[in-house]
Amino acid sequence: MKIDRTEAKRIADLAHLEFDDAALERMAGEMTKILSYIDQLREVDIAGFEDVAAGEQTPLRDDVPRPPVDRAAVAANAPAFSDDGHFVVPKVIGD
Amino acid sequence: MTDLLQLPWHEARAAASGRELVEASIRAIDALNPKLNAFLHIARDAGEGMPVAVKDNIVTTGMPTTCASKILGAFLSPFDATAVARLRTAGCSVVGKTNLDEFAMGSSTEHSAFGPARNPWDTSRVPGGSSGGSAVAVAARMVPAALGSETGGSVRQPAALCGVVGLKPTYGRVSRNGLVAFGSSVDQIGIVTKTVRECADILGMIAGHDPMDSTASTHPVDDYAADFDTGVRGLRFGVVREAVGQLEGEVRANFDEALRVLRSGGAIVDEVSVPTIGYAIAIYYIVANAEASANLSRFDGIRYGHRSARARTLREVYFESRGEGFGDEVKRRIMLGTFALSSGYYDAYYGRAQAVRAKLRADFDAAFGRFDYLLTPTTPEPAFPIGAKTDDPLSMYLNDIFTAPANLVGIPAIAVPSGFSRQRLPLSLQIMAPRFEERALFRAAGFFELETGYWRERPPVCA
Repeated sequence: MKIDRTEAKRIADLAHLEFDDAALERMAGEMTKILSYIDQLREVDIAGFEDVAAGEQTPLRDDVPRPPVDRAAVAANAPAFSDDGHFVVPKVIGD
Repeated sequence: MTDLLQLPWHEARAAASGRELVEASIRAIDALNPKLNAFLHIARDAGEGMPVAVKDNIVTTGMPTTCASKILGAFLSPFDATAVARLRTAGCSVVGKTNLDEFAMGSSTEHSAFGPARNPWDTSRVPGGSSGGSAVAVAARMVPAALGSETGGSVRQPAALCGVVGLKPTYGRVSRNGLVAFGSSVDQIGIVTKTVRECADILGMIAGHDPMDSTASTHPVDDYAADFDTGVRGLRFGVVREAVGQLEGEVRANFDEALRVLRSGGAIVDEVSVPTIGYAIAIYYIVANAEASANLSRFDGIRYGHRSARARTLREVYFESRGEGFGDEVKRRIMLGTFALSSGYYDAYYGRAQAVRAKLRADFDAAFGRFDYLLTPTTPEPAFPIGAKTDDPLSMYLNDIFTAPANLVGIPAIAVPSGFSRQRLPLSLQIMAPRFEERALFRAAGFFELETGYWRERPPVCA
């Protein structure tokens, strides 16, 4: 599977990663090489193994409130936190 | 006093107080860490108890968690990982956080944002990864035990390269609460020790169900050391044909010698085929990276960690914080994972990898129908020089070729020292067992250790 610059940019945008031109070029080449190795999976006969997750359930707990994480600890880790308990971010509307 | 750390810990505990043990450990760390870079943080207020080190992708209160990345900044976790809390309750004292490949993505600890850890047997060589710091901390006798984490072999492989014991428990055996998530369907906290018995003791402390981890198993916790010295007479060991076929030279000779030791104890040793095993790396590098791309999306410059000073818009907060904060290997894996999950490729890549994974599991189930254990060397080669593989990501990935299968199918596996190469580098035997058969694993590994005694050898840096 060949990854060209356009494809690499598409994936980088999905992944919210910023790359300069040289780095994007390098990444495209490395991904191509790795995916070529991974493409050997195509030769495996997977008949009977396609429906892997059938019947699996995620265990749930009762919908009962529990004590939250300590707000002071959260505030201490936050890059920007307001006095009334909000994470501060740049303006979203009119971006 | 430093000799305390050479002893198996039940002997050390009888010989000294908890305070003396912690002090001995901190002294050893201060003496050796500048050369070995095993620790990213030393907890000088560690108090008293049996000293343990914790890989820095497992959260701890009172000390930072960096995941060996710039993106977490000076993050201080408000809670202890469940495994850490259980160790503390059992009387252990966390003396520091160990170095790793960034976000546990690597096989050499060279991808740490804070420099590689160094192999105590030859400091020009890698200790393995991603739990390199933990393996070095134990091998260099700075601590008797360390927690690491496994996604594709990241406890067993560095344990192998550093000549110590490394365990990956059954998936779900140890709570993942507080282990920074990488590949959620494969991740497990693992244990590094110098002896098998110490490893069994630690597992007994941390294993068990946890309501904070929905993948943690309710399977009862066993008395893991109970069969430790009952030997291997009549037990059936299957040598994985597809793994062994490629082996040559010293690694081959060492592995054959290990088989001879098992046979000398009355074990039945034969070959078994696990046909899909050759695809394990390909499966792993799709599944783990896909899950990682989702798990690492939380590092976004909003709630914790690094926020780019250049960001003027919300989009820039995300893109530039992540662009600046993540290293190249992490970005590579996020990109691969994002690709594999993206529209138009999901079925062909992630879907197919999961199907081949199910086939691999069926192969293992069939093999365990005839054998109690499966055997391979832990790694295809001993420790390589720092810098030897960093230009070729794929060649680095192939270090996991014998370890990754156990992660993918969820079975427990242990690496035990099996000797040394001509260059005096550690070699290692890997033993795998069916799910929740850790007690049986310790039985086989314990026999092998008793017969060979390699754990008594110390790296030159400790002399």
